[in-house]
Amino acid sequence: MESTRAGRRGRVLVGVLALLMLAATAEIVLDGALGHSPLIPKSPAIAGWLQGIGERLGYRIFLIAILVFACAYAGMLALARQISARWAIVLVAALHAIVFAGPILLSTDVFSYIAYARMGVQHGLNPYLHGPSSILHDPVYRYVGTDWKHVATVYGPIYTLISYPFGLLGVTGAVWGMKLLALLASAGTLTLTWRCACVRELNPVVALLAVGANPLYIVYGLGGAHNDMLMLLLMMAAVSLALVERPAAETRIDGAVVRAGTAAGGRVRAGMAAGLVVVGALVKATVAALLPFMILSKRRLAPVLGALIALGLGALSGYAAFGVHGIDVVSALNRDAAFVSTDSFPTEIAHLFGKPGVFPVDHYLLKAALVLIVLYLLWRTWRGYDWVAASGWTLLAISVTSTWLLAWYILWPLPLAVIARDRRLLAATLAVQALFIAHQVAPLIAPVP
Amino acid sequence: MSEASGIESSLLGRLPGGLRPREVEAPGSGRRRLVETTVLLLVFLLLALATVRDVVRAAGVNHRLAADLRTWRSVTGHDYHNLSTEQDIKGYSTRDVICGNTSPGAPGERTQVCFVMTGPIVKGQRAARGGYYLPPTVHDQRARRYACFGSAKRPSLCPR
Repeated sequence: MESTRAGRRGRVLVGVLALLMLAATAEIVLDGALGHSPLIPKSPAIAGWLQGIGERLGYRIFLIAILVFACAYAGMLALARQISARWAIVLVAALHAIVFAGPILLSTDVFSYIAYARMGVQHGLNPYLHGPSSILHDPVYRYVGTDWKHVATVYGPIYTLISYPFGLLGVTGAVWGMKLLALLASAGTLTLTWRCACVRELNPVVALLAVGANPLYIVYGLGGAHNDMLMLLLMMAAVSLALVERPAAETRIDGAVVRAGTAAGGRVRAGMAAGLVVVGALVKATVAALLPFMILSKRRLAPVLGALIALGLGALSGYAAFGVHGIDVVSALNRDAAFVSTDSFPTEIAHLFGKPGVFPVDHYLLKAALVLIVLYLLWRTWRGYDWVAASGWTLLAISVTSTWLLAWYILWPLPLAVIARDRRLLAATLAVQALFIAHQVAPLIAPVP
Repeated sequence: MSEASGIESSLLGRLPGGLRPREVEAPGSGRRRLVETTVLLLVFLLLALATVRDVVRAAGVNHRLAADLRTWRSVTGHDYHNLSTEQDIKGYSTRDVICGNTSPGAPGERTQVCFVMTGPIVKGQRAARGGYYLPPTVHDQRARRYACFGSAKRPSLCPR
């Protein structure tokens, strides 16, 4: 009797938390649809049909909505074991639908993706050599972020090739196309996360909610239609392939049982998994961090060969389409690594020690710290530590030591954290996300009129 | 026999026990996990401290800027909302410069008057101890400033 009552209370609480999450997301989307907000980038009128319901999205409302969403998410995770799979899927689908219907949130990046695509398709320009400022009269130019107007693309050649068809759709069509791509990529990522959780005998509902109902994932990642969603899909496809070991088919030859398929099938899957990591890295380079851990844990030739074949094919297509600049990922990464954002942890630590910001020498110190962390994790993986967890720790370390930190960068380790054997990774990832959200609240404490 | 175990038995198997690769971690005394967790907690503590300190600092800056904007509107008698603000990032001081149009128009499209704000916030405002004018549509550069007054008359701030 007592347990039934407690169960009912739990279900009511879960319902309230779900409503809070949906309401917070709807508030951001409906207010954002009105535009004229510093939080909503200038955009073609894709969410005009939602106008008139909300008010102009200000920092105060946005921050309150994000805090409510984050608190409800924390409560939801605590109660996740009481939630049925069906309700979890309905909640995550509803959050996705609300964001998909609304405007582009919080970032102009998607317009850079479209600008690079239009440069290649409509203007015959190489996006690895020119910035969007070379297409001043193109209709997408006015939507590109000020900081990125003169910057050539830093994304991998596979992503640039994937984005090219969107350049044929017109700006509005391309925005919807990019939103759809992010939505489908997210659906794929969540499906694969669920699958991996089942393979590892972890609760798939917890895994689904931890990723698919995460406020940064929904509002920043999906809301901005970032290509990180596609990167996460390829990352999880690689992990899923690497984790799944199919049972061998048994045949009898002359009365003896022969198991066929395990070694050969395992080799093929391991090779394909490594190849997928490389494809992911040719979308966005960060995911390459998984490769050494995957290779080290398998200790087979197949992943090395798979990675080399994928790299060869990717480099060949990148070179054919964009020349040598299309495959020079290292210099693009170095350029990005030199940027500094106010939200980055190194900047915050510099302020803590009375420095006005990050200096060039700090970049070297941070890189050295990252190298040490990766070397330690490689050693641990060699000695049997879970390679998925080691990859997740590396992605988390990259985002924490980066001087250029954006909300969607802290999403990288999340799908790995929910399926890792080391549960400290999930706690650490969520703690870092919580600090990132906490860092945003200054305008709530002291608003500037 | 899997390929991995094949390699292990042939090459890697010859390595000393402490260097040999393992399929799963050996159950230890838990000392390493304790050390790792302690390091993680210390890192988290540092990040949390830095975050809280930065939020407090940013809130202080916002509070100061709000007072600066109020002061500019109070001194000029113009209730303009599009004012430009510049903080002393290099010197890390609390000196701010607030500029705005002297007559109605788009931001920066008219002659601008700039005030140098210093000191503490008193009754929601700060002291405008000096300032200068700028021609329309120019960035705030030392060479462009004119009719400097008060503390802004220093050669480091004004050319004439």
